[in-house]
Amino acid sequence: MSISRRKFLGWLGAAGMGTAMGSSADAASNKHFTGYPGSMGVLHDINRCVGCRSCEAACNKVNELQSPDRAFTDLSVLDKKRRTTSDAYTVVNRYDPATGTGREKEEPVFRKIQCNHCLEPACASACFVRAFTKTKEGAVTYDASVCVGCRYCMIACPFNIPAYEYDEAFTPRVMKCTMCHPRIMKGQIPGCVESCPKEALTFGKRDDLIKIANERIQKYPDSYVDHIYGEHEMGGTNWLYISDVPFERAGMREDLGITPAPQLTSGALAGVPIVVGLWPVLLTGIYAMSKRKEKIAQEEEAQAVAQAVAGTEAEAKKKLSAALAKAEKDKETAVKKEVKKALEEAAKAKEES
Amino acid sequence: MKKGKSLLRWAGVLAAGTIVLICFSFVGARGLASLSNDCGKEKRADVIKIDTLKVFGDIERPEVIFLHDLHTAALEKKNKDCSACHLSGKNFEVIPDTLKAAVQRIDRMSPKFRRLKDISRKEVMDIYHNNCIECHTNMSADGEKTGPVTCGGCHRKNPPVSSRQPVGFDKSLHFRHSKVQEKKCELCHHEYDQKAEKLVYTKEKEGSCRYCHKQETQENRISLKLASHLSCIDCHRKTLAKKAKAGPVRCSGCHDLENQKKIEKIADVPRMERKQPDTIMITTGQPGRIKDVTARMDFVPFDHKAHEGYNDTCRVCHHTDLEKCNKCHTPAGKEEGKYISLEQAMHQMGTENTCMGCHEIKQDDKKCAGCHVFMQRTRKKEASSCLRCHMKQPEVSDPGNAQLSEKQLAAVAGTMLKARKPVTDTFGDEDIPEKVVIRDMVNKYGPAEFPHRKIVHTLLDNIRNNKLANYFHSEKGTVCQGCHHNSPASQKPPRCGNCHGKPFDDKNMFKPGKMGAYHIQCMGCHKEMGLEKPVSCTDCHKENKVLN
Repeated sequence: MSISRRKFLGWLGAAGMGTAMGSSADAASNKHFTGYPGSMGVLHDINRCVGCRSCEAACNKVNELQSPDRAFTDLSVLDKKRRTTSDAYTVVNRYDPATGTGREKEEPVFRKIQCNHCLEPACASACFVRAFTKTKEGAVTYDASVCVGCRYCMIACPFNIPAYEYDEAFTPRVMKCTMCHPRIMKGQIPGCVESCPKEALTFGKRDDLIKIANERIQKYPDSYVDHIYGEHEMGGTNWLYISDVPFERAGMREDLGITPAPQLTSGALAGVPIVVGLWPVLLTGIYAMSKRKEKIAQEEEAQAVAQAVAGTEAEAKKKLSAALAKAEKDKETAVKKEVKKALEEAAKAKEES
Repeated sequence: MKKGKSLLRWAGVLAAGTIVLICFSFVGARGLASLSNDCGKEKRADVIKIDTLKVFGDIERPEVIFLHDLHTAALEKKNKDCSACHLSGKNFEVIPDTLKAAVQRIDRMSPKFRRLKDISRKEVMDIYHNNCIECHTNMSADGEKTGPVTCGGCHRKNPPVSSRQPVGFDKSLHFRHSKVQEKKCELCHHEYDQKAEKLVYTKEKEGSCRYCHKQETQENRISLKLASHLSCIDCHRKTLAKKAKAGPVRCSGCHDLENQKKIEKIADVPRMERKQPDTIMITTGQPGRIKDVTARMDFVPFDHKAHEGYNDTCRVCHHTDLEKCNKCHTPAGKEEGKYISLEQAMHQMGTENTCMGCHEIKQDDKKCAGCHVFMQRTRKKEASSCLRCHMKQPEVSDPGNAQLSEKQLAAVAGTMLKARKPVTDTFGDEDIPEKVVIRDMVNKYGPAEFPHRKIVHTLLDNIRNNKLANYFHSEKGTVCQGCHHNSPASQKPPRCGNCHGKPFDDKNMFKPGKMGAYHIQCMGCHKEMGLEKPVSCTDCHKENKVLN
């Protein structure tokens, strides 16, 4: 059986209608998820940070990570821009806010980089084995026992945070900051926050941190950009930032928008059950219907042909018999004529002789 | 098998297409970036945009960017002067009749190219095309380097960028001019007599050019731009012709940032002579009384003479004219003062145009910022600080009949100002601890030895010659409050650790913890004051070897 173009488009239209009429996955989701009430977070005040790397040292210690080649007191490490690795859940980078502005070199700013603990984490939404959990305490935690090592989370993260244990041959894990979730559960504060001498990191309820950030911005308008990074970025994060230089100048992405990552894919993913569940039924139905239609048409056609053949045959017979009858008659007439002619000729000859 | 091959082929084609697309998008982005980047472009101070035809409607080609100094230099080589391009303005219509009399002594030139007036589109266009092209053609015929003769050569789509800087006439420049002109103020200053419809000069009524000459030409007054170019350049030109020392005649002479820095600056400019008062009493404008019955606050004595010295121009305070503030800024505000009340005009923060706003900006000085950076800009000031300016008025013998003239009030202000003692006061050295050892948080590092008295002395030395600072720190303990904040000034203020304890207390979330408080205060102050030491942790506290 071949499918005509018209038919194919017709099916497609029907399938589309079916999808559109299906209920959206948004109906069941809370579009305005603003975080678990009372969830904890950290406010990083870039204006206060002096780049001493105490937080890096503390992170290394409390998470029992491998000791780095260069000591944490070695500040020449800051000459390079670093990212988080499986042995460093957090790194501090130094930025010259004048870079790319055409201005002269300015006083450097320092920014601490670690997992921002999104309210609606992209890593968790990308993970098909649910290795990541957004806890009600605010931290995004990772369960290595279910991880299959696909590293989709690393691609999904807009902040480029999760790192992979490439050196581990048999049980490689995805590594990232846990906001010291185990410590928080014990009533302690994250290691980095505890070690910061300048209180450039403030630990508290996310709601309170926003109040503190706003208070600093309002109190010292000359010392802060009027924006809390992470209040809305990527739908909001539990790690927040305030700064005296535009965030872009401190190496932070300002192009992320305020839509949480899962929402970006929810529309398309909401279609999956419909496509997977409904389309086969629908399309099979359409196929069966058209098949049946075809079958009936075929039968009717056969019947019609048979009828037609029968009709024609009868007519032909009739014609034949008529023709035969005519031929008989003609023949008779001709014979009669010939007989008559012969008789006349015979009579004439008789007369002449 | 066949099917698989064709699939592979398709994938290959798609991949190639994607690569090509990506390459294109990169090249495109880079191309755009280079377009929007001004860095590579030539920057000059003498850029003049010729878009005269705009007054006759839309222009067909990009406007011409004319480099004035380039042409002045070229003409100079050929022994030609401004008159090669600018017609003498004997019948100059831009200057109204009334102005002519005042400026007759100078043969002004029309600022327009080879014409006095823009008559018609065709005519103006021809003047430019004929004259420019003719001169350029002649010069190139003589084998000289010259400008373009084709359309696109002048009507360029990517012309040089202007780096023109506005220029001002400060105290120093004013003094140098008035000295050379032997204090003949009337050479520049004039005012418009409405009745006589004439420009006249009135002694001691001189003001800034900007009070009358605004951004755009209005009715009978030309724009500031025109007025300053006509007057300044003409005078400089005439002086140069006499082979005397004169100001710049080229664009870059005034409008180039580097050249502006080269303008000679007189350090100690003598006071301007306009019979301005030495001291005044800032009142609500109600006439006569030492204490206005409607005014709730005491009047403020103001040292006008001293403030003249602090500022570069009169315009800093006298922004529209040289009248008294309360003429427009009344206690309730009125239309002339854009409804900005007297209170706002004197106290508004976050602007340099008010007393308190300007005084606050002075706190950005490195010597002050160490303490003041921590003080909230928008905080409510202590009520007692109002009285530093709103001083108690002296008793008048006969209060019922105390109708005082402006001058008498100014004299009272003078005596009040003299009674002020702007000297920073503080406790004796015996009351200031020499060293404070901070051992509250000894762990990784040992105790920090804080050179308390040395720091107090440095802070005091920093403001020793600052009259404003001295006046506002003249009470014992005020200086101490730079660090010992949020508690009343006293000889024995609480220690830092008395208030700052455990961090991140959600009942008191705005207060830093102890370690944070020390580091924020010490390091913040050092940063603001531009101090290079300490560099590392161990400059303040030694590493604790025992614990590590």
